[in-house]
Amino acid sequence: MAQLPMWTSEGPALVKTMEVESESVSNAAMQAPRWSPYDFNGGTTIAIAGEDFCVVAGDTRLSTGYSILSRNVSKLLKLSDQTVLASAGCLADITQLHQRLQAHMQFYRQRHGGIMGTTSMAQLLSNTLYGRRFFPCYAFNVLGGLDAEGKGAVYSYDAIGSFERVPYSASGSGQSLMIPLLDNLVQFKTRTDPKPVLAATDVVSLVKDAFITAGERDIYTGDQIEIAVITSEGVAVEVFALKAD
Amino acid sequence: ADPATFCRTNFSTAYHKDNNQELKFNKGTTTLAFKFDHGIIVAVDSRSTMGSYIGSQTVKKVIEINPYLLGTMAGGAADCSYWERRLGMQCRLYELRNKERISVAAASRLLWNTVTSYRGYGLSMGTMVAGWDKTGPQLYYVDSDGSRLGGNLFSVGSGSTYAYGILDTGYRADMTPEEAIELGKRAIYHATHRDAYSGGTCNVYHVQEQGWVKVFAGDVNDMHYAYAAERDADTAARRAAAGGEEKMEL
Repeated sequence: MAQLPMWTSEGPALVKTMEVESESVSNAAMQAPRWSPYDFNGGTTIAIAGEDFCVVAGDTRLSTGYSILSRNVSKLLKLSDQTVLASAGCLADITQLHQRLQAHMQFYRQRHGGIMGTTSMAQLLSNTLYGRRFFPCYAFNVLGGLDAEGKGAVYSYDAIGSFERVPYSASGSGQSLMIPLLDNLVQFKTRTDPKPVLAATDVVSLVKDAFITAGERDIYTGDQIEIAVITSEGVAVEVFALKAD
Repeated sequence: ADPATFCRTNFSTAYHKDNNQELKFNKGTTTLAFKFDHGIIVAVDSRSTMGSYIGSQTVKKVIEINPYLLGTMAGGAADCSYWERRLGMQCRLYELRNKERISVAAASRLLWNTVTSYRGYGLSMGTMVAGWDKTGPQLYYVDSDGSRLGGNLFSVGSGSTYAYGILDTGYRADMTPEEAIELGKRAIYHATHRDAYSGGTCNVYHVQEQGWVKVFAGDVNDMHYAYAAERDADTAARRAAAGGEEKMEL
């Protein structure tokens, strides 16, 4: 039973903290929670920023435990012609988050007479996630789009809203399988030969390769990928089939 | 009872899991700041870790609250960036209401007020607020346990012990700005070299009377080779001066 020493105006006091089980119960039972409000529905999302474009992609498999619930659920949310959000994690939290953000887009449009830009949306998403700091939104997000100057912008988030603008990002169950690949192929971080400027078509085939790679070794990634290419002309979505095993 | 279980329940370093522990561990990072005759040097690393996975090597751990106040980030990244951004808003409101800039003591107090009202909720922040106000350069350390300390020299994070070693050895109040910047750089470099949870790039800011200036941003790996070359050149020169016998390889 953990007890915190604490001072009150009447002198020292001991505050007992919450315990799930008593000490006499076995180790395994003590660590197993009775019920979890979260379910991990799997999937991987990725975004890569280009010179004047951005590619955002996510697989379409929905899983729970060792089962596949659906092979055709989208993880992408088109917020505007310049911004696409991709989220993996717990579908319930993701759905709620997406609906809130869409509502905010509408409020912004009505109050300011214009469409919310990618950088503003990035900050809004961070603040929205932090709003649930003490009951986190189990959503691992990547936001991709064009910034005010028309350049590709990708923002990477943690579950409670810490965010950073990066050249590329991957989130979800296949993250640690994809990021090393992208470090090498996009950033050229782990090699010394000169880095070429990648065109949108190169990046799209890179994304397909990344998902094929992750799909081989991650059980939650597979079925199909939805790839959104954001350019000054708008958002073009392509669907690419993966292995269904 | 079983020692392994005891360790697991009482010495967890995981984010959030160590809230009720007596012994808490700093989350990965090294940040430092010190006052000297010509202002304040603030130096940080840029690595963020989620357990043993490196989340990013390019995190900005110095938060530019406004052109004359800096805050550092250690602990939970979301907590630090959210509340320090909010502190920026509070400082701006203060300026508008009082027609003068807020003092560093007051700014750090505002952050402390916020953090204290969430005491026990599990916020994780070990931050330093640095700035130059009417009373001169000021440095405060504020953390989510409720501490608020004014001081001349602080280092926060898992790499802080390594940084303190370098800082305490090399610190003099009358350093020139160049010497002070170099001290900050070296302290961060040594911390990133030995602490697995610190790394990436070293970012150094100098807080002057007119405001802060970013004075250095460099990859710690490059700094390693530069410092090693310097040290090896010194060793070679000393050996040559002492008479060139064959000795151990550098």
